[in-house]
Amino acid sequence: MKNWLAQHAQALSLVLRRFKKNKFNTLLICLAIGVTLALPSILYAVLDSVSGLTNSVKSESQISVFLSLNHDDAAIETIKAALDKNSAIKHFKFVSKEDALSQLQAADNNNDVLNSLERNPLPDAFFIEPSKLDAESIENLKGNLNKIDGVDSVIVDGTWIKRLNYLLLLGQKAMFIIAGLLAFALVAVIGNTIRMQILTQHAEIELSHLIGATKSFIRRPFLYAGALYGLIGALFALLITCAVILLFNQSLAPLVAEYQANFSLNLPDLVTCVIICLVSLSIGLASAYLAVSKSMFKPIQ
Amino acid sequence: MITFDQVTKRYPGSHEALTNVSFSIERGEMVYVTGHSGAGKSTLLKLIATIERPTNGTVLINNQNVSKLKESTLPFMRRQFGMVFQDHKLLYDRNCYHNVALPLAINGITGQEAGKRIRAALDKVGLLNKEKVMPITLSGGEQQRLAIARAVVSRPSILIADEPTGNLDRNYAEDIIALFKAFQQVGVTVIIATHDALGNANHQNKVLHLNQGRLTNVEVAL
Repeated sequence: MKNWLAQHAQALSLVLRRFKKNKFNTLLICLAIGVTLALPSILYAVLDSVSGLTNSVKSESQISVFLSLNHDDAAIETIKAALDKNSAIKHFKFVSKEDALSQLQAADNNNDVLNSLERNPLPDAFFIEPSKLDAESIENLKGNLNKIDGVDSVIVDGTWIKRLNYLLLLGQKAMFIIAGLLAFALVAVIGNTIRMQILTQHAEIELSHLIGATKSFIRRPFLYAGALYGLIGALFALLITCAVILLFNQSLAPLVAEYQANFSLNLPDLVTCVIICLVSLSIGLASAYLAVSKSMFKPIQ
Repeated sequence: MITFDQVTKRYPGSHEALTNVSFSIERGEMVYVTGHSGAGKSTLLKLIATIERPTNGTVLINNQNVSKLKESTLPFMRRQFGMVFQDHKLLYDRNCYHNVALPLAINGITGQEAGKRIRAALDKVGLLNKEKVMPITLSGGEQQRLAIARAVVSRPSILIADEPTGNLDRNYAEDIIALFKAFQQVGVTVIIATHDALGNANHQNKVLHLNQGRLTNVEVAL
């Protein structure tokens, strides 16, 4: 066990010494990995923040049902009963035209205009929160509501949120595809780097093999190098991501202020950081392993 | 300690490098393997060092049949040998000290213990004052001695040298042979391949003479 640990420490210190010796090269490779990883990370941060925004708005999405002006109270009761029975409706609220007018008067200071009206122009209305938010169910519900006697018009609010959600979904797909493609790029970059190192260490590898080094002894430093490239690259990626997000937020702030809203892109949280590091480290390790097994152990004749 | 029984080695797509070779070497012996170049000396040494496996016949090292050993155990077999290669195989990207350190690192020996042994090995071959020197700056004889220091640093029970005096002038060559003798005297089995006609007083040792892959002569001079 102690021996095992010592061997790993030995391999790690060897790798660190080699990194130190080729500082500039190591920096460049890690930077390349960092940039490659930063792209999907930034995309993820943006998507995450925007979808967080739509989640908070989503609950407000509702269907407004306006009744025609010439109906009696009995009609309202039948509609209420019909809505109660409909399973596609999660919750609804009735606002009578008198309530609506007083709300409007309270909210608006153009009381003169309102007072000058001869009669209340506002219809009775139901505000419905549907139980399912997908487009098809909402479309169905809308059709059903339109068929009820006394209903003048049905307006679905928040369609733009749905559209935004679809866009976000598309964005997410794009992110995964980009991340997947860039993962291949990472495998190529790290694998090639390791292969180059194997070539430069060829004499040492051959000699070690001849004088009794085990395969794992020879392989170990390269695996450590791959894993370290991944890890350092991930740290670079996080730095780049945070810098870009902070920069974005600076420019976003005045725009968001125009809308009197409160929105900024979130910096990646700890879990995301750890996941990015682990994923990158594993990619580094895997590509190093691939490179080593492909190019190192050709059987001696 | 080392027994060859009817050993044949054929490389793929090539002639037989060794044909029906049988001999044995006892612990503490000093053995010369002689013959023209291409006679199979290097192949014989590689078979002893378990770098190659025989095509036919049995090679026993410390009573273990090399053909029957698993690939994964061969590295541990090889650690019993100190190898001096024909082309030295020194690493030119590091100084003498770190060249000698490699076999110890493979054996998991590092730190102070390693430092002591490395300096002892360098001292034995007379290169102690050059531990920080890069091997490319050493003369041919010094490089040879550095290769020997690396071969003995892990205290192997068998020392194998392929043409250790090949490119050296006579004085240097005698120094090197004297060095090997010193190791033999402390109990190390020494096997040396050479194409030389073994000039001087080397006939007090066992000689395996190879001719076109066949063992033609085993002399044991008295």
